[in-house]
Amino acid sequence: MGKTIKIGPFHPELEESVYFKLVADKNSIVQEVEIVNGFIHRGMESLVTNRNFMQNLILTERVCSLCSNNHPFTFVMAVEKIANIKVPSRAEALRVVADEIKRAASNLFNLAMLSHLTHSYELMKDTLETREYLQDLKETIWGNRMDMSVNLFTGVKYDLDAKKVVHILEKLNLAIPKIKELQKRFENDEIIKQRCVGVGILPTEKALEIGVTGPVARGSGINNDVRVKAPYSLYALRPELQPRTKPRNGCDVLSRAMARFDDIIEAVRIIKDLLSDLPRGKTYLEKRPHIPEGEAVVRTEAPRGELIYYLKTDGSQKPIRMRWKVPTYTNWEALKVMILGDKVENVTIILNSIDPCISCTER
Amino acid sequence: MPRVQKKRKFYKDVFVNTSKFIKILRETLGEQCSIKEDKDSYGNHSIWMKLKVKESINVVANSIKSFKGRCIVATAYKNRDGSHTIIYHFDINGTILNVEIKTNDNMFFSITPIIPSANWAEREIREMYGVEPIGHPNTDRLFLDYSIAKGVLNEFIPLSKLQRGVSKTDIMWKKVEEDINNG
Amino acid sequence: MNKLKPKLFRINTGSCNGCDVEFLATALVDKFQFHKLEVEIAEEISQANLLVITGPLTARSEPFLKSYINKLSEPYVVVGIGTCSITSGIFRDSYAINGPTDKVIDVDINISGCPPRPQSIAEGIAKGVAILNQKVQNVNISKQMDTILQGFEAPKSFRGKINLHANLCTACRTCETVCPSGAINITKIGDKYEHKVWHNTCCFCGNCVFFCPTGAIYNTNDFDTAKHQDEKYSDTNISYIKTDNCSSCNKRYKKPTTGLLKKAYINDDINKLNNNLCPECRKKENFTRMYL
Repeated sequence: MGKTIKIGPFHPELEESVYFKLVADKNSIVQEVEIVNGFIHRGMESLVTNRNFMQNLILTERVCSLCSNNHPFTFVMAVEKIANIKVPSRAEALRVVADEIKRAASNLFNLAMLSHLTHSYELMKDTLETREYLQDLKETIWGNRMDMSVNLFTGVKYDLDAKKVVHILEKLNLAIPKIKELQKRFENDEIIKQRCVGVGILPTEKALEIGVTGPVARGSGINNDVRVKAPYSLYALRPELQPRTKPRNGCDVLSRAMARFDDIIEAVRIIKDLLSDLPRGKTYLEKRPHIPEGEAVVRTEAPRGELIYYLKTDGSQKPIRMRWKVPTYTNWEALKVMILGDKVENVTIILNSIDPCISCTER
Repeated sequence: MPRVQKKRKFYKDVFVNTSKFIKILRETLGEQCSIKEDKDSYGNHSIWMKLKVKESINVVANSIKSFKGRCIVATAYKNRDGSHTIIYHFDINGTILNVEIKTNDNMFFSITPIIPSANWAEREIREMYGVEPIGHPNTDRLFLDYSIAKGVLNEFIPLSKLQRGVSKTDIMWKKVEEDINNG
Repeated sequence: MNKLKPKLFRINTGSCNGCDVEFLATALVDKFQFHKLEVEIAEEISQANLLVITGPLTARSEPFLKSYINKLSEPYVVVGIGTCSITSGIFRDSYAINGPTDKVIDVDINISGCPPRPQSIAEGIAKGVAILNQKVQNVNISKQMDTILQGFEAPKSFRGKINLHANLCTACRTCETVCPSGAINITKIGDKYEHKVWHNTCCFCGNCVFFCPTGAIYNTNDFDTAKHQDEKYSDTNISYIKTDNCSSCNKRYKKPTTGLLKKAYINDDINKLNNNLCPECRKKENFTRMYL
């Protein structure tokens, strides 16, 4: 006979609300898992069809504030595809800069949470302090620590002058050695190893079957990074910017954490490369586009993996249908594979290892 | 107790020639489908396919499976005539394949038994549009709370306005106005 | 003096996780002075006396929130983090939103922001702790509170509370149209336009600032958004936009700014235009000038 354990929906170790019902045997090994979703469902697919395109620039940003740049980024790309707009290359570059900063900050937060859950206090503090470099950067350049409000049809809302470029580079140069040091510490920390190696196994075959993406896939030996597989924006125009990460094949919590470190280091490299050679020109086109009838499917690589937008318009000021699929949507199913047969005490660590973005998933 | 970690095979990219894939589908489905190819300004291919008969989705799903593709997500929307359009978005090694079917009778055939990654997408269509995926392994709700009737996205007018005649925004702004008038 | 150790429990009722992430940063990074408040994180809600709520309150969260609240024992304080918890913010009017929070529980402190800066969150929780102590001591609750945590600054570029240069505004309603959360309202009162920004539903995105054709509306870097619940509906920015008499028909109308005229009359010297005409009379004048 197993005993039933409930975690959530509101719990100090859960960033977002979700409800786990587990059945464990006498050795605390999880035998059955049921997950109740829907706590963060805000009916956003109905909301976006009741707002105009300009309002949706911001509404899509509020889907989730950890990948808050990727949503409007993908949304405007879909609009631009329908309206057949060519964006100035400086704007493309500025979009990528904003995107990679968000990616690095988002992944650092997840790693901080991991060390928080393993009670590695010093490590957690240092990870969060390192993230503060990026947070300060976002606040000084874009005006908010989470939601940068960058994207616009035909371009971006902000510009970087020489002074700002220097400021970003200075901050990044401070952060880089810290990030590298953190990576070493995560790899060698005894507690992290104890709690993360061989925990939450997602075998490659299973990962393929479920269709996981992002660092979760890269932790299980699969690299389906959209920036490489179907490059968009500047990743397509300048292939040398594409991330050169290699997948990790431990298939466990630590591999996924290390895949995130790889992403952070590549993100910083991409920003530095871009800032050293920022295309000149306009940041957006003066003329406001007319958005005709049409449909488009566009995808990008969010910090957690593949983000895809479907947009259908009818020539009016509001979309008829907009649907998006976020990485956690498919990564979530992998949780069941990871949790089953593992210990109850590991459940929150395993959950954190897919870097769940429940607000993205449930909309 | 540490578990012994197996050596895991590296995932090998399956070389997929999209034209080969399309050829196979054209041969099996013939007149039953129309295919359009699309290329974005960055050079990424995508394929748009319309199926005349909704049952044909089974053929497409099986063939996606044999090409080691996955279902990214599926979109549904209600047409003005009351019918529903469902678009599956598949990925085969970096190429997006959009497959459109139409249903007039609030049901379609689930492909989750063939492609498990379609699981959530099909469940969501059930609760958001009240369109039933026949043969789907799960029957419970995914995101939508039981206090909300299923098929909520079928409404063209926002529900809150439909129910109360005014929006919460209007009610709240009244209170703000009162505060301004009271100094 | 009677003091209670503040024990905090956080509930996410459907937030986009911005407030939760930033709350964590507030609690764990030293520069935000949170440690000065000596707040302990409670493992169970039954031990807590400082309830922190984020999110717009979704349909599925509501019954759970109600059952959790029942486990609280007096005295306790409720602090709402983020615009969503105050007014459901950008998600208001969705079928899945049953909020805002104060429908279910009496809130003491609201911290507006999307998400609020950690500095504002720390300040709000400091105010919450102060109110908790007042409740323990059974004294009157202060509704107007001075800033508790000192030394916080914001960069000039920080997108804080919205303000308006009334002299530049032409009441064209662009800001109202692009605002995603319904925070701006322009009404005509007598021969003036009243331009209202309600900070407690604003999501500080700067959309209005970007799209404003005359540069009238702007973000200040004011992040003082931790306020008592009494100020929920009164924390606003009100400006009045004057109208003029048309020199031809004497009707009241809103005069365009020089900048706007320059945009409309690219090939004309705008100094030579009659500056005091209402749109109707200007049309007539233009027709006369160009075709007759």
